[in-house]
Amino acid sequence: MPILEVEHIQKYFDRTEVLKDISFSLEKGQVLSIIGSSGSGKTTLLRCLNFLERPDKGIIRVKGETLFDAGDPATQQEAEIRKKRLHFGLVFQSFHLFPQYTALGNVMLAKELLAKGQPGYDARKKQAHKEIEEQAKELLQQMGLSDRMENYPHQLSGGQCQRVAIARALALQPDILCFDEPTSALDPELTGEVLKVMRELAEQNTTMVIVTHEMAFARDVASQVIFMDDGHILEQGDPRQVFENPKEERTRQFLSRFTQG
Amino acid sequence: MEQIIEQFPVVLKALNIGFLQTLKLFFVTLIGAFPLGLVIAFGSMSRFKPLSVATKLIVWVIRGTPLMIQLLIIYYFPGLVLHHPIWGGGETGRFLAASVSFILNYACYFSEIYRGGIQGVPVGQKEAGLVLGMTKTQIFYHVTLLQMIKRIVPPMSNEIITLVKDTSLARIIALQEVIWAGQAFMKGSQGISGAIWPLFFTAVYYLIFNGILTVLLGRLEKKLDYFK
Repeated sequence: MPILEVEHIQKYFDRTEVLKDISFSLEKGQVLSIIGSSGSGKTTLLRCLNFLERPDKGIIRVKGETLFDAGDPATQQEAEIRKKRLHFGLVFQSFHLFPQYTALGNVMLAKELLAKGQPGYDARKKQAHKEIEEQAKELLQQMGLSDRMENYPHQLSGGQCQRVAIARALALQPDILCFDEPTSALDPELTGEVLKVMRELAEQNTTMVIVTHEMAFARDVASQVIFMDDGHILEQGDPRQVFENPKEERTRQFLSRFTQG
Repeated sequence: MEQIIEQFPVVLKALNIGFLQTLKLFFVTLIGAFPLGLVIAFGSMSRFKPLSVATKLIVWVIRGTPLMIQLLIIYYFPGLVLHHPIWGGGETGRFLAASVSFILNYACYFSEIYRGGIQGVPVGQKEAGLVLGMTKTQIFYHVTLLQMIKRIVPPMSNEIITLVKDTSLARIIALQEVIWAGQAFMKGSQGISGAIWPLFFTAVYYLIFNGILTVLLGRLEKKLDYFK
């Protein structure tokens, strides 16, 4: 059974249809890369998965459970949506780290707030805090930021910020980790260090959905590629097939800039 | 000069009493206007149209007319027009009316500062909180609040210092604040008359108090400097 199933998602902003009948599925441990020009709906699709936007039509299923069904209001209750969001993690293009917390604080905050809501928290407060801190430190270490844990976001480079943001998303152990153009705000040098940790995550079989303009990365790391154009999925399949032998003329046109460059 | 030295202790005592009234009005205004301003800010940002329009109308009227007129209307209107005096006489009644006017006026100014602070925090902060499974309340307290405060402190400092000086307007309804106390010695009070220096000397009170406030608010601003 696929870990993620998206069926016939449709989304309007006012009267403009930005997502047109989007369907795909993803197996556990796979990496899905979504490519396409700006304005093709890639980001909106990710935002729908994370319930930052509400699709007007369609179904989202995770591990067989229907998280969202546009035709069923029972799946759209605010309190429920908050829990459903935890199936997904999202790394933003411009990081959105919390400026008043250190790198470590950023990674720990959500998990601590979540722990506070659990029954019996007060009794094992210290223990819980310690565990969360240990886990956060481990994650930051994994991101190569052992010596940056006590720094505030404004003291970090863009690449470091993005790696903190990745650690922050991982802290909640989401089933599917989404990236929204994670390197678009970075210069080429810093892009490399972020792609490196993402590559490592892929090697550890983290299920990921990655919206990106880094074509080489998408080709090498993805197990599946979707090419989006004007709100449609125009082409979908094995990265080798999409990149080397695109069926659609539009895909070829889009990729030509990359293959020539 | 000799005369001044002779008058000084008497005047100082009277001015101190007056300044106490000034301080009282200052702190009561802050205590009332801080929370009321937040309520008005939320009102003006409400998605419920009638509420936001009504709130914005009130803010427009209050910010668009002199505080002095507001003081006069709030103090005299109930008694003189409605024949139903609600403030009672004497210094207590005047202080009450002045407090209500000041709180209302300053709450409107504060509300605009709050609104700027709230809307100035990038949407991304809230979205980051949401995707991390936080509730809206958690996001407010743990993510946006401190960032708002940081944005609010500088313009708020300005308003607070203006408030110190604005308290002198309460003199229009004969509230016996420090300038009123200084002016009394011109007309004659406690055996001193025709003395103009006490009136001028009241400026020193404002200057010193505002000096202290400036230092304290500056420290607060610096304290929030650890993040950008």
